Amino acid sequence: MNIYEITDLFRGILHTTGVFNFQWKLIIMWGVGSLFMYLAIAKKYEPLLLLPIGFGIFIVNFPLVPLMGYSDGHAQLIEVFYHYGLEWEIIPCIIFLGLGAMTDFGPLIANPKTLLIGAGAQLGVFITFTGTVLAGFTLKEAASVGIIGGADGPTTIYLTQHLAPQLLGPNAIAAYSYMAMVPLIQPGIMRLMTTKSEKRIRMRQLRPVSKREKILFPLVTVGIIALLVPSVIPLMGMFMLGNLMKESGVVERLTETAQGALMNIVTIFLGISVGATMHADSFLSWKPLFIFSLGLIDFGVCTAGGILTVKIMNLFLKEKINPLIGSAGVSAVPMASRVSQIQGLRYDKNNHLLMHAVGPNLAGVIGSAAAAGMFIAMFD
Amino acid sequence: MPALFLMLFPAVTIGEDFLGAPVVPHIRTIQKTETRLEILSDLTHDDALAFYREALREEEDIKFRDWKDATYIEDDGNREWHSVTISKEGKEGTEVVITKDSWTWIIGTLILRYVGVFVVLLLLFLGLKISGAFISRAIAKMDVKKDGS
Repeated sequence: MNIYEITDLFRGILHTTGVFNFQWKLIIMWGVGSLFMYLAIAKKYEPLLLLPIGFGIFIVNFPLVPLMGYSDGHAQLIEVFYHYGLEWEIIPCIIFLGLGAMTDFGPLIANPKTLLIGAGAQLGVFITFTGTVLAGFTLKEAASVGIIGGADGPTTIYLTQHLAPQLLGPNAIAAYSYMAMVPLIQPGIMRLMTTKSEKRIRMRQLRPVSKREKILFPLVTVGIIALLVPSVIPLMGMFMLGNLMKESGVVERLTETAQGALMNIVTIFLGISVGATMHADSFLSWKPLFIFSLGLIDFGVCTAGGILTVKIMNLFLKEKINPLIGSAGVSAVPMASRVSQIQGLRYDKNNHLLMHAVGPNLAGVIGSAAAAGMFIAMFD
Repeated sequence: MPALFLMLFPAVTIGEDFLGAPVVPHIRTIQKTETRLEILSDLTHDDALAFYREALREEEDIKFRDWKDATYIEDDGNREWHSVTISKEGKEGTEVVITKDSWTWIIGTLILRYVGVFVVLLLLFLGLKISGAFISRAIAKMDVKKDGS
């Protein structure tokens, strides 16, 4: 064996290593992944999602790692999760099943007029759409970016995967990051948009809701949504199935699985798949940065939209609604409700708004799903 | 097949277009403004549709909607034109209308869809009100029966 053969031998081995195929831009993505892991571990921001997302970003940005792609015609590990979970639009629907099994719609049923707040809070979704089109995105991309303001992770992922899968990573991360930052984003807008007397409005205690009403709710809701926005039924249908399972009380084992083990399993696959879509080659461009900045405005406008809707409703209502619960019209359950509660207590130590805010909060979930359905119907 | 296509639809090859949208061979221009072109073609609806399917075959973000009285081709991308409507009921020929992409359409559809979200939740509100009233009445009746017995 001569020196050339030995060099070739080493070169052959070197070519199979990540070191030889290294690119500097990968370091930036390691930083992005590490940042999300830091936020999850140290700051506890949406750790269930940001941790696997951060790790997904980190691990996929090493050269030659066989995770997202195909080798010899076979899909690689995360590609399989991504293909069957997200491309087939299954994971967001299963998450909605689990969310339904966890949700008590009592406060919304007791005060159904708060549904309108959930609609009003979608204002930012439609305004952001316009801004995104102006920036040069296609209409489908604009719709997928706009829905971030609805503050509903599964809906954002569902719509983005449906209309603009190339933006899945940035959109999902923007949605979950801003959801985690609701306590930082919303209070300033709430303070700015409400007067002192409005902040102190006390609302009557909610009436108790019977079990029959709770059982009927998912059926009525799914029926109406199916008639008006059929395109979003995969999400809403699963949401309401989960809730019916919970409220019926006859399938406790299924309810427990849906809200526990099943939800946890798909959350792992969701997080790592979303993170793995963010390879340096596709992520390092102006679009993700633009989505992040616009997402913030989107959130702000949605919050303002909810508060504004309450103010308009108060013009016609005898029993006034505290506008501080308007901000909960963005989904972000239950974080947005907690923000309303904390802000309410700041101005009146005996004014507990939590249960009142849960109504618009849940309406926000339905509202953002309805908005997503409107967009899907527009493009399909 | 390409040769036959070139024979049938020479307009594609000579690149006749309106705002970037291919224009089907036509016998008369009904109306032409900066934002709208209305033409009458002697091709049948199906032939005109085949023309556009072929001409836009490799374009992304284009969808074909089959309506009762027309086929509506819509661009969801960033092209200068927004839609091509091919009528199905022309007497003298097939009417084809090409329109410019406009902010009026975007803003209009957004407002309508935002209102649509309100309508959905408003109907849900009414549904809850009605079902709630129905259940309350049924429970009250049952309570009265219980008290009676």
